[in-house]
Amino acid sequence: MAVFIIRRVIWTIPVILLVILMTFVMMRQIGGNPFRKTERNVPPAIQANLERKFNLDKPWYLQYVYYVKNVVTFDLGPSMSQRTRTVNDIVKDGFPKSLKLGILAFLWAVVLGIPLGVLAALKPNSIFDYFAMFFSTIGFALPSFFVATLLIYYVALKANLVPTNGWPQGFFEFDDRVILPSFALGLFPMAYFARLVRGSMLETMQQDYVRTAKAKGLPYKRVIGLHVLRNSLIPAVTATAPLLGLIITGTFIIEIIFSIPGIGRYFINSVFNRDFSVVMGITVLTSVIIIIANLFVDIMYGVLDPRTREAR
Amino acid sequence: MALLEVNDLKTHFFTREGVVQAVDGISFSVEKGKTLGIVGESGCGKSVTALSIMGLIPKPPAKIVGGEVLFDGRDLTTLSEGAMQEVRGNQVAMIFQDPMTSLNPTLRIGTQITETIRAHKDVSKGEARKRAIELLDEVGIPKAAERIDDYPHRFSGGMRQRVMIAIALSCSPRLLIADEPTTALDVTIQAQILDLLDALRQEHDMAMILITHDMGVVAEVCDDIAIMYAGQIVEQADAFELFDHPEHPYTEALLGALPQLEGDEREIRESRLTAIPGRPPDLVNPPEACRFAARCPYSGSNDSCTTVEPQLREIRPGHLVRTAHPTSERSGERETVNA
Amino acid sequence: MAVDRREAALPVAAPTTTTTEPAAGAAIRQSNLWQDAWRRYMRNKAAVASAVIFVIICLYCLLIPGFWKIPGIWTSLKDYDPNAVDFSQSYAGFSLDHPFSTDKFGRDLFARVAQGGQISIAIGFAATFAILVIGVLYGSLSGFVGGRLDNGMMRFLDALYGLPYLPFAIITTQILSPSGAVSVWTMVVALTIASWFTTARVVRGQVITLKENDYVRAAKAVGARWYRILARHLLPNTLGILVIAVFLELPGVVLGEAFLSFIGLGINPPTASWGSIAQDGREAYRLHPEVLFIPCLAIATLVLCANFIADGLRDALDPRTRETG
Repeated sequence: MAVFIIRRVIWTIPVILLVILMTFVMMRQIGGNPFRKTERNVPPAIQANLERKFNLDKPWYLQYVYYVKNVVTFDLGPSMSQRTRTVNDIVKDGFPKSLKLGILAFLWAVVLGIPLGVLAALKPNSIFDYFAMFFSTIGFALPSFFVATLLIYYVALKANLVPTNGWPQGFFEFDDRVILPSFALGLFPMAYFARLVRGSMLETMQQDYVRTAKAKGLPYKRVIGLHVLRNSLIPAVTATAPLLGLIITGTFIIEIIFSIPGIGRYFINSVFNRDFSVVMGITVLTSVIIIIANLFVDIMYGVLDPRTREAR
Repeated sequence: MALLEVNDLKTHFFTREGVVQAVDGISFSVEKGKTLGIVGESGCGKSVTALSIMGLIPKPPAKIVGGEVLFDGRDLTTLSEGAMQEVRGNQVAMIFQDPMTSLNPTLRIGTQITETIRAHKDVSKGEARKRAIELLDEVGIPKAAERIDDYPHRFSGGMRQRVMIAIALSCSPRLLIADEPTTALDVTIQAQILDLLDALRQEHDMAMILITHDMGVVAEVCDDIAIMYAGQIVEQADAFELFDHPEHPYTEALLGALPQLEGDEREIRESRLTAIPGRPPDLVNPPEACRFAARCPYSGSNDSCTTVEPQLREIRPGHLVRTAHPTSERSGERETVNA
Repeated sequence: MAVDRREAALPVAAPTTTTTEPAAGAAIRQSNLWQDAWRRYMRNKAAVASAVIFVIICLYCLLIPGFWKIPGIWTSLKDYDPNAVDFSQSYAGFSLDHPFSTDKFGRDLFARVAQGGQISIAIGFAATFAILVIGVLYGSLSGFVGGRLDNGMMRFLDALYGLPYLPFAIITTQILSPSGAVSVWTMVVALTIASWFTTARVVRGQVITLKENDYVRAAKAVGARWYRILARHLLPNTLGILVIAVFLELPGVVLGEAFLSFIGLGINPPTASWGSIAQDGREAYRLHPEVLFIPCLAIATLVLCANFIADGLRDALDPRTRETG
């Protein structure tokens, strides 16, 4: 078991390096020397200084090495559009907010989506099942920006139940501003989990070992609770990895719509402002998060399904 | 009184394509400590019979539409689900065909045994575990105390089937139903498992129903044999009687399909394995008359086979058969179709 | 080892011919997998309805924007010009002249959404097609050759999975259009590059499974060359998977285009795409929500239909997922 975990962890390192390399290559394609491309007129002397500071006068592979070194020491460089702030500042500011948004959205998805799927599977083809699946189909197909705007329109504006935008300052502060954005973000994963869990449970209940469990005279609660549920949740766990990725990228849109000052919004604005160091920094950061999330999911999968521990 | 008495059991499947009359009026009984073999080809309803006894038929499409299943005098078909859970695993146990898929891959086998024990008996975890190790020993798993914590995928097919048997025996049931327990296994392992089942049955004084499509298997182990075809019992007798004097054409054909290893050397070399041509009838619309008629070498154009359904009758004491052309009444008749 | 949901959604390929069970004594009939699949698909009402709606939407997008050019067909149709600006008609509301109302510039939305649909769906299909091509090439190469090459290619793919979809797509569009105006082809390329991994992985999985199949071994035993095996045995059997993959990738791409255009980093007005129309509608949605809602509903409908079609295809092509047998 420990070997399994260590092996997975070690594999993430080359992956992260590769990701940084790719981001780096792409950013160079956009900017080359970003200072030449911006509209701000930078006097040549200062420009030369800046170039030296950012190592832009060195060959690209050295630049890459410097960048990796910086990333590892958590120095993502200065922002190119906001002279007084570094990328680190921006990230420190925005990341907790995005993280909170993402976590809340994931909680919505798990707390509402999974039980919905389980209950629907336990009463297949009932009215409850139809409603649950209808609801999840909607959550699945509607683009999240649409849902977000709908919610703002009906819940915040018309019914005046919650404010339309904004976000609390502290990480552990919660007020009613967090409800709509996290729900809007969590709707797709919620719908996805509901459908997935329902399908998975229905399939598991057909399995031979469930028949064996019933033949042993085990109480219904145990058959479902242990034998069926545990094996049905495995696909849900595997789905978590791409869903986390979707949630992370989904925050970009939700933050814009709800005016939440998280890294997603900073990212989009930085693209508009051609602030490449921020763009790059946030991309690398998000990538690392996704990779770590994938790693975590892989390990969970190994815990739940003993067969995979020996496979690789 | 017999331990298990099945009277006129009818189980139908209500599907989109029609009502499949999988089991259509089956009656048999099993005495305490005896073994009944149910033989038939795939689709004849033998597994459905077993599942109906256990109350494990999938309730939305399937339903027991008639008959009764008397276990120790109680009709199992009328029991509530809660009462049935009390019976299953405890008084009546079942083992299934495919040991690869019948065990939960994510639970240790020890857990799968102890949960059965603790569901029916009031014992501590430690006691249950001790009993589980004893059981694994009894079914022939080497190093039981170590392997109890292994997962199913660490075991071979034969070993897994032994684990299944251990699970089935864990609460000392009075009746064990074995649904094709050896079909998925190698021939050599088959013999071992059958021997094991027989030995355990004798030791625990258990009754057993052994379901299979292989006449060779029932010859080994069974006291009584029932032959099923297309949802009905077509012949039923004591094992010796059946093998010595088969009456139904289908039974004859099944026996004819067995390779002959005794007798004149030349005969053996020149004998052929006879297959039964054709396929079983569609059970959504079973024939009104004899269901075997289409494949029977003895049914003719001017007899009752295609018009009247033959009833089960006692051709000799203890020997029932459902046919218009039993062997003992057939001397002088000629075959109408070459086998 | 992150497994994408879409992998789990696809069935294992089956051989292309089956025999059906005859009634007792009846002659055995050869029936093609495709015919069986067609019949099964037709029994799935949601899938059939979705296919019909999908076709209707495509027809709508293809035909409506051009109608106004055809004289005499329907004179009021001349108002259905997606680009005709008429401030007097701004936010005119629903009427027979403007079934979907108008936008800020008085442009008729019925025509405009159709026009936008052309672009959105075109991007969708183009990107999906490109994804399939790349995915098939990469996946079949990796799966068929196996060994260290396969390992290496899959590791590389794992790394690509680590790149977040939206930022990746955004950066790609920025690279390809430094001047800032994002063209349709840029979108196609960006969305393709950001999404091809899943298909590659699925194809590889299929190829690996099929490679071990007995009929492939039989072909090898007869001496068939590897490219013949690949072309004649492996690829036709993955055809079903690929068709399903089309309808699974399409929603993702269409949504991706919508997302990017909505935040202004994709197709921008006045070019119409469903996302850019939604972007337009964002301004005044509090007072005139239809400009935002209608393209969103169009997107949602297309996504839903594609999903049902994919479900229907999957059930039709994989006999094992059928219900009670």
